[in-house]
Amino acid sequence: MLLKTLKLINFRQFSGEQNIEFATDSVKNVTVVMGENGSGKTTLAQAFTWCLYGDTDFEDKVVANRALERKLMPGGELQVKVELNLVHSGTEYTVIREQLYRKDLTGRTKGQNTTFNIAYKKDGQQEFVRALEVDAYMKQILPKELSRYFFFDGERIGNMSKEIKKGKSQDFAQAVRGLLGLNAFISALEHLKPTSKYGVIGSYNESYDSKSDKRIAQYTEDIQMAQDNIERIDKRLLEITSEMEIAQDNCDDLNVKLSGMAETERLQKDKLRLSETLTKTRQARASSMSAILKQFNTNNSSYFAKSLIFKSLENLSQESKLDKGIPDMHARTIEFLIKRGFCVCGTKVEFGKETYNNLNKALEYLPPQSIGTSINQFVIESELKTKSSSDLFESIADQYKVLRDYENQIEQLISDILAIEKIVEGKKGIGNLQQDLWRYEKVIRDLTAERDESNRKKGAHETTRDRLITERAELTLRDENNKKIEIYKAYAQYMFDELSRVYKKNEEETRRKLERYVNEIFKSIYEGGMSINVDERYNIQVIVEDEGGYSNDVETSTAQSISVIFAFISGIIKMARENSLELESETKLLESEPYPLVMDAPLSAFDRRRIKTVCDALPKIAEQVIIFIKDTDGELAEENMGAKVGKRYLFEKKNEFETKLVAR
Amino acid sequence: MLFQKEYSFRGSHVDKVNKLTSQFDSSASAKLFNRNIDVYILAPIIGFLYGRRAEIDKSGGETTKIFPEQLIREQTYLKYNYQLIMLLDKKREPSFDERENKAFRNYGNNSEETLSDELSYEKYVLGGIDVLYEKLIENANSPEDYITKLYDFMEEFNERYNEDISDEKILDLCALARN
Repeated sequence: MLLKTLKLINFRQFSGEQNIEFATDSVKNVTVVMGENGSGKTTLAQAFTWCLYGDTDFEDKVVANRALERKLMPGGELQVKVELNLVHSGTEYTVIREQLYRKDLTGRTKGQNTTFNIAYKKDGQQEFVRALEVDAYMKQILPKELSRYFFFDGERIGNMSKEIKKGKSQDFAQAVRGLLGLNAFISALEHLKPTSKYGVIGSYNESYDSKSDKRIAQYTEDIQMAQDNIERIDKRLLEITSEMEIAQDNCDDLNVKLSGMAETERLQKDKLRLSETLTKTRQARASSMSAILKQFNTNNSSYFAKSLIFKSLENLSQESKLDKGIPDMHARTIEFLIKRGFCVCGTKVEFGKETYNNLNKALEYLPPQSIGTSINQFVIESELKTKSSSDLFESIADQYKVLRDYENQIEQLISDILAIEKIVEGKKGIGNLQQDLWRYEKVIRDLTAERDESNRKKGAHETTRDRLITERAELTLRDENNKKIEIYKAYAQYMFDELSRVYKKNEEETRRKLERYVNEIFKSIYEGGMSINVDERYNIQVIVEDEGGYSNDVETSTAQSISVIFAFISGIIKMARENSLELESETKLLESEPYPLVMDAPLSAFDRRRIKTVCDALPKIAEQVIIFIKDTDGELAEENMGAKVGKRYLFEKKNEFETKLVAR
Repeated sequence: MLFQKEYSFRGSHVDKVNKLTSQFDSSASAKLFNRNIDVYILAPIIGFLYGRRAEIDKSGGETTKIFPEQLIREQTYLKYNYQLIMLLDKKREPSFDERENKAFRNYGNNSEETLSDELSYEKYVLGGIDVLYEKLIENANSPEDYITKLYDFMEEFNERYNEDISDEKILDLCALARN
């Protein structure tokens, strides 16, 4: 399948008619559509899905252009149309999907059912596929379950990698086989299938002549019944397997959530504890603050006056050496001596004489005229103050250190609490998880029991069937006619066995080849001791190869996941392409069609270097590559794929509801 | 005479004294100074040490007061601080003898000289309030700010004036001055 053109009419923000032509050249096979975020890259990618399968990944399923829809008058209609032109198996098809939107009288717009048509050119004439057959045709061109690997979205790659790695349906394996050209085998085997009533062998069973022996008919009926039972059980067993996988997935999810919740609970407890500590620390800080202030408030003046006291005392002590005061003598003593007329030593004291003058002068240095007492008082006070004073600065500094510690603790606590709040945020209200888990665990137990029981029953039916077949064979051999049928049947059985053998071999080879290709591609874009394993159901495992030969399935990172998907898709495309090129060879048993690769934002998760490897690898692997890309990645992509780019387009965003596609 | 009758802060100093004596953290009931008189006791020393004098601000009718009973109760402190400043204010009076007289002989004698000394003392009180306000209040927005400013002030003061003085030295000088 090669994509030629895409026509959009009023599809979401692409208002009016817009056309895009894809590069189909065998050398220049890359089409790059570039646009900034929100300009319509994803919408364009979704236009393919909508056109081919009538579905989009958008939350809003309305595909009509909003601006035009709003302008509709009541009773007015708006036609949305996507037309995809493609070539498949040498025939050119036009796939058309349309949807009519009508505004009713209340002003509500309703979309009618989409109409889907496929037209093809035959002998230059355009013909339409009949309405009943369009879905079958589409399935032939590209089955939906595979389409997402060819039309894929880089931003949703996480889910894809999970899907690609496990739990895929039989349909998927079937589709991959078909893509790899194993369809012819599958139909042949289906045609011969001995267990089916409608297969070749089945019809032989029906044609036994029962006239000779009625028991033959009875046997055939019983065998068929046993066979039906076995098939019913097989079908149920498949259901059980997938139901168990689903239940197991749910259990795993719940366990992750539950352990997350246990974590949340623990964090909540931590937060509570931290909050309590915070309150206590705040109280401690407050009291330490009070302590500092109390100290500052008590007797602070003697601390602040210390230098003044020191200087005053220095001055006073120097002065006191010159003090002419006589210790313990009062003015009254002198006055008494003057009045008495002679000194203690006997010298006469007469008015106007030297002795008299000397005594009078001494009065100045004695109380009350002397200030010595006041000074003494002052000195005593200084002494008392000094003795009772503590070092205010030192004790405040000590307290301040404590306070700073508290403040640091508080800061740390607050930031811890905030950190917890951030983690816990949005994890509330999960509720009832444990019950859900128990329920799913019970489902698994019940299913396991049912599976074992079914297997036992199946075994019993198989034994019965085989016994009946042997008994019937004995009976049929007695009749010539039936004997002939028995021989034909044996031939048919041989054919079936032989075909099965070849198919298994081919399938195995195809799968190994696919595995080899996938690995080659994977290793070219993702280096580092890992390889990919593809199992019977085309499930993928990433395996670490270490030096000891020990291997293990590993959890993969985003870049790894994307690389795995790229490798897987590329591997399939590469094989499909090879098969189609072998078409000419006579011996070829397998046939297949090349497929394009349509990618939305495929490079956003890669770094520069890896973009280069991916850009190198893709155009070589796929017949046609169409990339929708944001400008920065786009420049890188063009830089690396330049020679291969055949068509370039740009989104010109006018507003939220209008984007134009222009060729560059 | 000083420290006998009611004292009123006026003008810009009202706000400053109010802020110095108000709670800044409700949970800790924390105050820098418990009462107006605590500011009044410390301010002259700070004013004198930082060499800051301020005129009485007569603008605005608002006042905040210290009652006479409080002044009388704290008389010893107040008188002692007054004496310290009188003894050491060399700018106003170069002669130590005269300063000694101002501090001890003239204290409270209501002479013209003494009244002028008391006025000078008051200017140191007001200057000290300005310094305390700048050092402890200005630009602080949270309890943490107040405490940090207080610590910074204490640290600066300690470095500037107190670091080299030990209690022993003072006590030695006391002994010397008393003999």
